[in-house]
Amino acid sequence: MKFIESYIRAVDAFNRRIGRFAMYLIFALMGVLFWSSVTKYAGSPALWTLELAQFIMVGYYLLGGAYSMQMGDHVRMDLIYGGWSPRRKAAVDSITVLFLIFYLCVLLYGGISSATYAIEWGERAHSVWRPYMWPVKLVAVFGILLMLLQTIAELFRDILFLRGVSVNHASEAGL
Amino acid sequence: MSYELIALFMFASMMALLLTGQRVFGVIGAVAVIAALPLWGTGGVEIAFTQSIKLMKWYPLLTLPMFIFMGYMLSESRIADDLYRMFHVWFGPVPGGLAIGTIFLMVVISAMNGLSVAGMAIGATIALPELLRRNYDKVMITGVIQGGSSLGILIPPSVVLVLYGMIARQPVSQLWLAGVFPGLLMAGLFILYIAIRCQLQPHLGPPLSREERDAITWKERISLLRAGFLPFMIFFLMNGLFLMGYTSLVESSAVGAVASMGAAFIKGRLSREVMENVMRKTLGISCMFMWIILAALCFGAVFDGLGAVRAIENFFLGQLGLEPWHVLILMQLSFLLMGTFLDDTAMLVIVAPLYVPLVKVLGFDLVWYGVLYTITCQIAYMTPPFGYNLFLMRAMAPPEIKLRHIYQSVIPFVAVMLLTLVIVMMFPELALWLPHQFLGKLQG
Repeated sequence: MKFIESYIRAVDAFNRRIGRFAMYLIFALMGVLFWSSVTKYAGSPALWTLELAQFIMVGYYLLGGAYSMQMGDHVRMDLIYGGWSPRRKAAVDSITVLFLIFYLCVLLYGGISSATYAIEWGERAHSVWRPYMWPVKLVAVFGILLMLLQTIAELFRDILFLRGVSVNHASEAGL
Repeated sequence: MSYELIALFMFASMMALLLTGQRVFGVIGAVAVIAALPLWGTGGVEIAFTQSIKLMKWYPLLTLPMFIFMGYMLSESRIADDLYRMFHVWFGPVPGGLAIGTIFLMVVISAMNGLSVAGMAIGATIALPELLRRNYDKVMITGVIQGGSSLGILIPPSVVLVLYGMIARQPVSQLWLAGVFPGLLMAGLFILYIAIRCQLQPHLGPPLSREERDAITWKERISLLRAGFLPFMIFFLMNGLFLMGYTSLVESSAVGAVASMGAAFIKGRLSREVMENVMRKTLGISCMFMWIILAALCFGAVFDGLGAVRAIENFFLGQLGLEPWHVLILMQLSFLLMGTFLDDTAMLVIVAPLYVPLVKVLGFDLVWYGVLYTITCQIAYMTPPFGYNLFLMRAMAPPEIKLRHIYQSVIPFVAVMLLTLVIVMMFPELALWLPHQFLGKLQG
């Protein structure tokens, strides 16, 4: 019990920190694209801007994913769900969340295999800039892993809630 | 098991799981990978992650966080508030004038952001209390704000059309240009409806009283026109530079985001709190969208691999002997029907991968269909019992507006939207003329 509780707290805190970092990436994205239009106007368009922007975007939504799940931003279809009591929601969630965990595992597996390939063969993008692909793939794998850890934390949170222990459970935060 | 049966099974299990209230992206993704594994074995394992690379390489998607950022910047920093006052003063003397002015306001806001949320926020928090105070009919103005703000996704820039472009593999700039005239047509029809209704039933929208009109000096009227200056600058920097060919689509979205921040700064409203809210919400909404698209792409890829689209086409054209037009109309009807009870974001990503390939094999123009698709989404956003706009409205509107009023209010506006849909279906040129003028001249 104590272990599970500290797992939830640790994952929450870590993902929050990573998510807060990802949040600021929007300015990096803006800056890169802005620079792209400036250089184009100046007559010598930068070749790397679009790809770099794409890499930042991957970091933005994959690293920010876990934090946004913490904040309850991922929509649910609440036709029936919306009317349930917090206990019932937690009970159903702790079963259906296994589907989500399965999906994330498959996603993670594919990511690891793709990243391993990129590292072993020194994969590069087919463009003028020809950047290596492994850094962005590693970031993606890291983001998916964080999402998986967060989802497991959500499962634990629901189970503890059903047993009467609330660790920042959504029903108490008024979400 | 035949492929058709698997496709049907995928669809049914997705619906069932969605009803349990699990997060939409998880449901779509899980159904897709569970179907992919037995079909393609180890090759099927990679299909989920491959989509993230596909997603990355589709560069118009970079506009998504930019426009979400812009939308929240406009609503949180309240830079559009003065704009309301401008329309208020200029249109006040006509019966129903304030409602008509509100539609104009919504068109301007729509031209600066790609979601309906900014228009909704400004409409519900500023225009609505003001209109209520002037004895405008509750039900009518609630509808005005809901109908008006939904223009946000039809008039460019439009986030919905960016997502559609990704699935239909059509250039976003063409899609956006295609949305211009249908969007203005819809706004025009809204105005016509309000004007006629207020002529027939003047008590619904009383004009400003004589004293109140006289209290507004011409000097004030002229100075209020300046309120339009900042929004116009944002609009020009974003759309003007793009249409003149200086910036690409993605770059212009970044220019727009920077410009909206600049405008908030000039107005002295770029506080720490505003910044924090804007960034937090932008991250949340962007992540929500991106994870759903990621899962939906995977679902779409599996569905494609099954050849389900060919089977459906064969069923309609071969076995039922229908004309392509009949199928198109049936599709829009089923889309509308689904829109009344499905969650909108889910619908957006479920319907597009299913319908778009079908439209293509039927031989219709996909840019034109993009406009039909967006209008249908707009309607779906507003139709009870489930509509994103309905709930947003409930959360933002003053307490005297009850859920009953909100439900009631959308009826005439949905009718006007349906009329627009039919007009655009009958006259495709309405959507396609403008993009054809710019064909091949724009970047991305």
